[in-house]
Amino acid sequence: MSDLALSIPEARTARPRSAARVLRTVQTVCIFIIALVIVSPLLLLVVASLKDDRFQILADMGSFRAFWVSNPTLSNYAEVGHLSGQLAFGRYLINSLIILVTTVCSGLVVNSMAGFVLAWGSLRGRAVILSVVIALYVIPQESIIMPLVIMVSRAGMSDTFAVQIVPWVASPLYIFLFYQFFTQLPKELLEAAEMDGASFFRAYRSIFLPLSLPALATVSILMGIETWNQYLWPILVTQTDYARPIAVAIATFFGQDSIYWDRAMAASVLMMIPILGLYLVFQRWFVSSFIGSAVKG
Amino acid sequence: MTMQQATSSSSVRKAPARRHDTGRLMQETAMLAPAVILLTVFLIVPFFLSFWTAMTNQPLVPRPTPVRFVWFNNFLRIFQDDLFWTALWNVSRFTFWIIPAQCGLAFATALLLHQKLPLRNLLRGMFFLPAITSMVVVCVIWGTLFQYPTGPFNQILGFLSGGAIQPIDWLGDPQWAMFSLVLLSAWQAYGFQMIVYLAGLQGIPDELYDAAKIDGANAFRRFWHVTMPGLRPTHVFVLVITTIQAFKLYTQVAILTQGGPKSSTETVVHYMVRAGFEEQKMGYASAVSVILFVIVLVIALIQRQLLRRFDV
Repeated sequence: MSDLALSIPEARTARPRSAARVLRTVQTVCIFIIALVIVSPLLLLVVASLKDDRFQILADMGSFRAFWVSNPTLSNYAEVGHLSGQLAFGRYLINSLIILVTTVCSGLVVNSMAGFVLAWGSLRGRAVILSVVIALYVIPQESIIMPLVIMVSRAGMSDTFAVQIVPWVASPLYIFLFYQFFTQLPKELLEAAEMDGASFFRAYRSIFLPLSLPALATVSILMGIETWNQYLWPILVTQTDYARPIAVAIATFFGQDSIYWDRAMAASVLMMIPILGLYLVFQRWFVSSFIGSAVKG
Repeated sequence: MTMQQATSSSSVRKAPARRHDTGRLMQETAMLAPAVILLTVFLIVPFFLSFWTAMTNQPLVPRPTPVRFVWFNNFLRIFQDDLFWTALWNVSRFTFWIIPAQCGLAFATALLLHQKLPLRNLLRGMFFLPAITSMVVVCVIWGTLFQYPTGPFNQILGFLSGGAIQPIDWLGDPQWAMFSLVLLSAWQAYGFQMIVYLAGLQGIPDELYDAAKIDGANAFRRFWHVTMPGLRPTHVFVLVITTIQAFKLYTQVAILTQGGPKSSTETVVHYMVRAGFEEQKMGYASAVSVILFVIVLVIALIQRQLLRRFDV
């Protein structure tokens, strides 16, 4: 992938090699500095989360001490981690992880199966369903949220894990991404599998799914970020700590008079770690498969 | 299936005139069913319900009095509410500013990273990091950056100007609050647009650059006559996505400014959530959500027209 990406060709002209190399190094250093500027707010967050004194955090913010901590401590993390603590961030973090894992895993299964049938199935009405799915993509979550809140509260689903998972498992965008990925694979694969006596499901499960790693990676990352960062929906459907995710818990800080910045910072850092892990695991396949499908869809 | 049938069907390739195969059809139905059911229950039904609810006086909590059908009264009242127009104006302002900020940043970083660089994946990851950061976390960080009067931004501005620039109350001054949200939002979200631009850049064939080079085009001309036309659909897509996202502005507002100061950051979605959950008027809030849908639909249709014109 990385070599395909080269479309500003390296200077092959008469310029001496060493000069080109110097130029390249300077360029790289510049880009690295820009990248550091861009991520500096996040560095600041990590540094601040290691400071014990919440008044000191704000006091340091105005100077370069914001990027320096003289006696780093993990006490904020310890407090955040206390499951029974006054601010039960550990609990919220686990809630969020449960919601994340369940939503992404079931989303991968449901959307890839649907995408596969729409791509290679022989059901009548396939084309109609496909065009409906594409049309549904236009509906923003915010536009359906009011009736959806009424529906789930009438169904007695408020304040559960299910209410934060089930509604967002199936998604037009991810069905379409899988559909498009599967149509790029040769149909001969399916025919060969069926000739060998494999069922349609078996062909999906044993041949097409293992080949669709880039699509699985892309959907995992997109869906993971989306689920992990949900804010509006959980704030409307959770009332207690029982299933409340960490995003909502951190946000409640802002209403309070004395903000516990130290713990908020530590909780924020903890909130970044799982999704960062997900990204690092899947990023190899992410960019390459995000391509045309998004642009033309 | 015999060998002969198989070869003949693969040589035709299109339309494999399959015999009626019940087992297979049942498998297909079973595989498609979860998605279809979930989409119907949690997307299609609430979507149509939102139109119906929008024409009723549905409250949040059920009342003894029956829900009444009020036709288009909710819409009439929304259009008569100055706060709604303020919200619409605010998201328009937000859109107007965030498009150059966010798309510009995304385009610039994509151009920088679309080269053979050492540590390219690390750099990409660094630039993408804000995009995977939850908006709530972003608000925690930027809330401290924006501190008045001694926050980092004010310190930097004061330092650079030698004290000439007075500290700015970024989130507390009606003149600045929306602009501050633009900065924060652009920083948070440009990573996705950057990826889209990277994908678009990869889609431009190298031969075009080589040909331009042979024709003696310099770097600027190659950029203007090869890169830019090649990115036309990408530009359209990025602009549309950014616009739609901008019109849905909510989380930053809910956490940092609650629509204030003096309604300067009130947005359509924030207005909707307040109507529905603080004033408990679900019918009214649904009517706002229908208006939001129409706005998004119009933007999406414009995208389709533009893409068609560019012959993609």
